[in-house]
Amino acid sequence: MTGFERLVTRIEHAARRRRLQRAWRAFWTGLVVGACIWLVALLSYKLLPLPMRVLAIGAVLGVAAPLVAAIGGLARRESPQQTAIWLDKQQRLEERVSSAIEVGRDPKYGRWSELLIDDANQHLERLDIRRILPWTLPKSSLWALLVLTIGAALGFVPEHRSASYVQKQRERETVRDTGRALADVTRRDLEKRAPALDATRRAVESVAELGEQLARKPLTKPEALRELAKLTEKVQQQARELGQNAALRALAKKQSDQSDRSDKSDQSDRSDTKTESADGKMKATSDDLEKLKRDLERALQSAEALKKEGAARDKAAQQNLADALNSLSQQAKELGLNISSLSEAIEALKSGEIDQLLKDLAVADRDLEQLAETARALEQMQMQAERVGKDLPEQLQNGQAMAARSTLQKMVNLLKSGNVDPKQLQSVMDEVSRAIKPAGQYGKVADHLKQALQRMQAKDNAAAAQSLADAANELQKLMDQLADAESLEGALSALRRAQAAIGTGKSWSQAGTLGQPGFKPGGRPGRGVGTWADEDGWIEQPPMTGAWDNSGIERPEMSPRGITDRGEAALSEGLTPTKVRGKLSPGGPMPSVTLKGLSLKGSSKVEVQEAIRAAQTDAQSALSHDQVPRAYQGPVRDYFGDLK
Amino acid sequence: MNTDEQIAKFREIYAALKREIGKVIVGHEPIVDSTLIALMAGGHVLLEGVPGLGKTLLVRTLGEVLDLTFSRIQFTPDLMPADIMGTNLVMEAPDGRRTFEFQHGPIFAHLILADEINRATPKTQSALLEAMQEHSVTAGGEVRRLAEPFFVLATQNPIDQEGTYPLPEAQLDRFFFKLLVGYPTAAELTEVLNRTTETAQATVNRVLSREGLIELQQLVRQVPAVSHVKDYAVRLVLATHPKTNTAVPIANQFLRYGSSPRGAQALILAGKVRALAQGRFNVSFDDIRAVALPALRHRLILNFEAEAEGITTDKIIEQVLSEVPENAAAVAA
Repeated sequence: MTGFERLVTRIEHAARRRRLQRAWRAFWTGLVVGACIWLVALLSYKLLPLPMRVLAIGAVLGVAAPLVAAIGGLARRESPQQTAIWLDKQQRLEERVSSAIEVGRDPKYGRWSELLIDDANQHLERLDIRRILPWTLPKSSLWALLVLTIGAALGFVPEHRSASYVQKQRERETVRDTGRALADVTRRDLEKRAPALDATRRAVESVAELGEQLARKPLTKPEALRELAKLTEKVQQQARELGQNAALRALAKKQSDQSDRSDKSDQSDRSDTKTESADGKMKATSDDLEKLKRDLERALQSAEALKKEGAARDKAAQQNLADALNSLSQQAKELGLNISSLSEAIEALKSGEIDQLLKDLAVADRDLEQLAETARALEQMQMQAERVGKDLPEQLQNGQAMAARSTLQKMVNLLKSGNVDPKQLQSVMDEVSRAIKPAGQYGKVADHLKQALQRMQAKDNAAAAQSLADAANELQKLMDQLADAESLEGALSALRRAQAAIGTGKSWSQAGTLGQPGFKPGGRPGRGVGTWADEDGWIEQPPMTGAWDNSGIERPEMSPRGITDRGEAALSEGLTPTKVRGKLSPGGPMPSVTLKGLSLKGSSKVEVQEAIRAAQTDAQSALSHDQVPRAYQGPVRDYFGDLK
Repeated sequence: MNTDEQIAKFREIYAALKREIGKVIVGHEPIVDSTLIALMAGGHVLLEGVPGLGKTLLVRTLGEVLDLTFSRIQFTPDLMPADIMGTNLVMEAPDGRRTFEFQHGPIFAHLILADEINRATPKTQSALLEAMQEHSVTAGGEVRRLAEPFFVLATQNPIDQEGTYPLPEAQLDRFFFKLLVGYPTAAELTEVLNRTTETAQATVNRVLSREGLIELQQLVRQVPAVSHVKDYAVRLVLATHPKTNTAVPIANQFLRYGSSPRGAQALILAGKVRALAQGRFNVSFDDIRAVALPALRHRLILNFEAEAEGITTDKIIEQVLSEVPENAAAVAA
């Protein structure tokens, strides 16, 4: 090995070691920078209302900084000349080594280059590169450790959040959860039955889209309520338009009456009606499911209390909740229900993940609600099947449109077959002629039946079959519209529930029980004294009337006096109240009732006349539903009657 | 003689020269070193100092230790160029014919002592321009080469400025070094008294012949100066150029003109001599820094502001040295 090669080898060794040390120092410097970034992120998070992702970004940058710095240090290569210059400066070699490296390659220097290389080698031999570049912790390591220690200590300091911020966060969370539930419920309804009318489908889809929008990008509480109110108004308008159809109203009323009668007469039998799913394993009645759902809601409230009160360390509370969930799971199994989210919730409780527990319980709640709805529908179908009218007039009279349509279809098939004997034809004609009267309330159905009767009388069976088919189609249309109206009602119900949830800050499931008698505003049954509100919920919500014009309908059972044959009461003169407009008692103060409700700010674009009409309709509805105390009914009627 | 022997001889002679001069000159080691560096580099030296500090004695001693012809020119206001360079005289031959014959002036010597050079008129001063740079003299329409080595050592007195003519910039630039001769220390002054007020007289030996000096001067030029060291010298010089992007702030503030390229040449050549004298085979940054003051101080022209504030070129050079980094990468960054 020549002197120059020896020189270059030594310098390359120094360059390698220097490169590694540069990476080592850069790592520690990067660690200081990364720790500072993390500390700043942590401080900012502790002091300012920043989202959690600030911490995540700080952590990623904090980890990346030393790695990037070390890689950068390794990537930077030095030429032997640069290393030689560094060695000269570091060891005060007076440019011996760098001169030797440069001159050693140039033959024009002759003997001088040899002299230089020998001189440089002599000086380098005295040097120990390991001693010049020792592996020690740089000063920056102390700073890094200091900053990391401060960061770790800061981790134990609770973050500062103002009450308004916490409130806003809760509201956003509620808006997000409500949006998710709204979208979930509406999409499920859409999957179950797609509305026949485009307008209805669009309206229901817009509800689902709003839910998704709220879940995706939660709005503030007022914004969310405004959006929900806007959409509610739109859907209501859609329902009102649908309700303009008198035939549809009649069909709905008939079905409702039929359903009410069935409910009342079969109240005692309902518990005996077992619901079976497609696979035949589910043995639960809708009542079982409702009871299960209520138990689940109680468990959900306990879990929320566990989270809110920070009682996660309270073993007794956890144990109670675990027992309740296990009991629920057992009940579900006995009923043949397979609710996987309930098992997941139990697991989450075991591992102490309260947030996950809440999510799983919410999913289980929705699953149960869906099952209950299915069970109710099945029960209703069963009952309807049992009470289907014996012939077309009776079916039409009872509003059993599907059965009537089926009967009509049979008649069509019979007429089309061509071999109808006169007796059969007479029977059909007789049935059709009797059906004309009850069909009068279903719009064109009666016309088609009349037409069919005339054609049958004229022995034109084919044309009569066509008329009967038209009548069947008309009924089908009505059924579709009715189903659409139910979809709209479902969407409206979901919207109102969402409004209630966001407005009161309750969860979706809690919002479902709001306003029900016997339950406090929190949805929790009253404590201390027995409540005569039946837990089976015998008092149901009054039917939705906003979309319907019930002004012409006589409902004696809803009258404040009840069903009576006594006629108008004739009060003695002393008992007859003196009517003074605007006053309940002359000279006395006007009683006032403070109403709680949602305050939606903004300008109204409703015309006065329209507003007056709406108020009058609402007042009439409230009066007819006995929602106004008897003593106030007169003044209220007068007041709204005089509005112009 | 091979390179190794030449280098050894250089060191030996350099040490001997210092030793012999030291017999006469007390102290002033930096001045002696710088003078020897300029001698080996083939440059001229301007010595500036108050009277009585040994400037002339140093040059005379140098003339004694070197086996060279020596001339001393005492510059006075009535000194004419012809008094320095020589002139054509009418000479009568034995046969009675008269011819012009060039009478060589005192400049035709190897070692010239130009004593109190600033007392001569600019016309006379400028007579030295050609001689110092080209090593030739033009007189009577004829260019006459001066014998090598040609070495001018000039002295000037910074006080008693009445009736003096400051050297023009072009003249100053031709001096390799400008050395400022300061006062001796107490010990040195005592030694001066011992040597000069007693009977014993110091005798010096001739150390170096003319040929030997030329040989050493050639050896000096072979010393390698690597690119980053040359680059440092260049950046130092460029930093003195005011109103350029390479200038340091103090140069912009206090300089009218910066150093000429001769400044950079002086830095490198002087650095080479210093490296050899110190036993190295290469020029270092330290060498450049060590010779920067004598090589550049007379090449910087101060502006009015600097004159008014009493800023010296030495201060500016020190600032330049502190501001210009050795490593070019630092400049790029």
